[in-house]
Amino acid sequence: MEQRWANTSRLTINEKQFIEEALRSEIRVDGRRLYDYRRLTIKFGREDGSSEVQLGETHVMAFVTGQLMQPYRDRPNEGTLAIFTEFSPMADPSFEPGRPGEAAIELGRVIDRGLRESRAVDMESLCVVAGKSVWAIRVDLHIIDNGGNLIDAANIAALSALSTFRRPECSVGGDDNQEIIVHDPEVRDPIPLTIHHFPIAVTFAFFHEGNTLVIDPHYKEEAVSGVRMTVTVNSNGDVCAIQKAGGEGILSGDVMRCLRIASLKASEMTTKIKAAVETYNAEVALKKVKRHPSLIAQKITVPDVEMKEASFQKTKELSADMENSPNQTSTSLTTTKDRDTNASIGRPLNWDPYSSSAPAIVSSSTLPELVGTSKDANEDQMMQTDEEYDPNLKKDQIGSATGVSSGIHKQNSPPKSLKDAVKPKHKRKKNAERGAR
Amino acid sequence: MEDRTDGRNANQLRPLGCSRTILNRAHGSARWSQGNTIVLAAVYGPKAGTKKGENPEKASFEVIWKPKTGQIGKQEREYEMILKRTLQSICLVNVHPNTTTSVIVQVVGDDGSLLPCAINASCAALVDAGIPMKHLAVSISCGLMEEGSIILDLTKSEEEKLKAFAYLVFPNSPLSVIDKVHSSKEEPIEHGIITSVSYGAMPVSGYFDCLERGRAASAAISEFLRRSLQKQSSEDASRAAQ
Repeated sequence: MEQRWANTSRLTINEKQFIEEALRSEIRVDGRRLYDYRRLTIKFGREDGSSEVQLGETHVMAFVTGQLMQPYRDRPNEGTLAIFTEFSPMADPSFEPGRPGEAAIELGRVIDRGLRESRAVDMESLCVVAGKSVWAIRVDLHIIDNGGNLIDAANIAALSALSTFRRPECSVGGDDNQEIIVHDPEVRDPIPLTIHHFPIAVTFAFFHEGNTLVIDPHYKEEAVSGVRMTVTVNSNGDVCAIQKAGGEGILSGDVMRCLRIASLKASEMTTKIKAAVETYNAEVALKKVKRHPSLIAQKITVPDVEMKEASFQKTKELSADMENSPNQTSTSLTTTKDRDTNASIGRPLNWDPYSSSAPAIVSSSTLPELVGTSKDANEDQMMQTDEEYDPNLKKDQIGSATGVSSGIHKQNSPPKSLKDAVKPKHKRKKNAERGAR
Repeated sequence: MEDRTDGRNANQLRPLGCSRTILNRAHGSARWSQGNTIVLAAVYGPKAGTKKGENPEKASFEVIWKPKTGQIGKQEREYEMILKRTLQSICLVNVHPNTTTSVIVQVVGDDGSLLPCAINASCAALVDAGIPMKHLAVSISCGLMEEGSIILDLTKSEEEKLKAFAYLVFPNSPLSVIDKVHSSKEEPIEHGIITSVSYGAMPVSGYFDCLERGRAASAAISEFLRRSLQKQSSEDASRAAQ
């Protein structure tokens, strides 16, 4: 639609000239040096296989999901990996919804070549029954904000999401030994993907007929430059993919220079991604350890620091709901009072207009797992719930159960430890304010 | 009354989170989370021109709904239409005639109450973009249990188990500088209902119970929305110029 074109932001001639002139003196619009990357932040979502990457102003989200499917006929014992890119209209006023444009398809292909065709992800381990059933991994990349250099950011997002993705374990069994049983993630730990190497994409933009080149171009620099080249290398020095589509020619000596610079940057980037994935895996492992209440005794202080927001809420609610139990009368009343007078953002609204008539309800579903706290009111409810003991905790209850168990354990110890349960409220309030900012 | 799986009681909402101005290119953006349901909304506009079929004497809205994974199907189109009509009714459409404002919604996490979360996020994003509005809208999901009790802010498992539930959108009263002279005949503005989407069959009394409970809860949500919007309002520079 022609009228839409009027809405795209285009650079003025002044801006273009300024960017080109500044680059002659090796000055970039955001103050970086020529071969500097912007600040990289990698965050992970609550589920396995979801990552959010911010490279300067560029913002990309990746989601990895897996399904059992029939394999391709010519590769019966290999899984499949498919990459879907979405240039969301929220990233740039010129992105239209509907069919992907050239840039979207190019980005998808470059990442696909880098990841799949270089055999970065091991496909043969995804086979369950050869010829019948294999895992089909699907990576959805959502470009949320276009600040330039989408290929690099999307590549990092895809790699981090693949590194944290866990597929459920499945085994072949049943009567005819042909049935596939997919094990519940609570019963058997899901398995990570095998990633042999990390192909990192490094994008270069050329100016002044190939005399000046910059890494990680800003979107304004991209609009000014005529030529762009993306090189995908890994930290071993292998070149996985090179993409240079159109534009002016570049001298072959310059191409070799780019490859050398790219392999340096690739090893830096690989360490950053691996560090972020390690931190995330450590957090997840710590949360899993807290599943077993018998181990809580040694880890009283740790849950204060590591608990996520949701579990904090449950601690507060349940510590207030413990009014029924005989031990705490005054301490729990103070927590209720604190909660009501405190008006911080993002706290659960335990508001009840009919509070005089409705009784405070003690949740029974999370309590049965607790050992060592005997509450007669809940004994009956424990019998009625269908949940088995530890292994079948639902994932979203893990946080709450650990919050509960740590909270209740504290309540049974001397009163000063209850203050430890109350104090983290301030930490969480800071988190909520940070989140609300 | 049955206990809910995540330990809340019937009137308890999940922890709410709202952050504004998270994107650089979009004119307005907001991220709204209710428990594990997280939605990102971005607003571009007003842009020149309206699409064919839209009234050029009013501002028109365009909603694009992006699911987390998978193809766009009928469910997404339905959400787009509901969101568009809701936003059209709360914005002042005569201020900028012959313009189109685009609202793009990206689902980041889905654990039930997705449409209410998206409506809340879009409302916050519109405020961030500075689109003129009559009042804000707050949205909540209410479920009707078998014995007639109402539960608020449903999770995905609750939505699948319940026989009937509804998504409700209420206006929140505008704060005004002039002290309102309350005439007893006038119904307060919160008693209006902007949108209601119901799933499953419920008796009429059950529906009215849902409305009442939802209306009461919307006061709490609009309080939270106002607080989080006011916090950031001072330092924002205009984005439309970029």
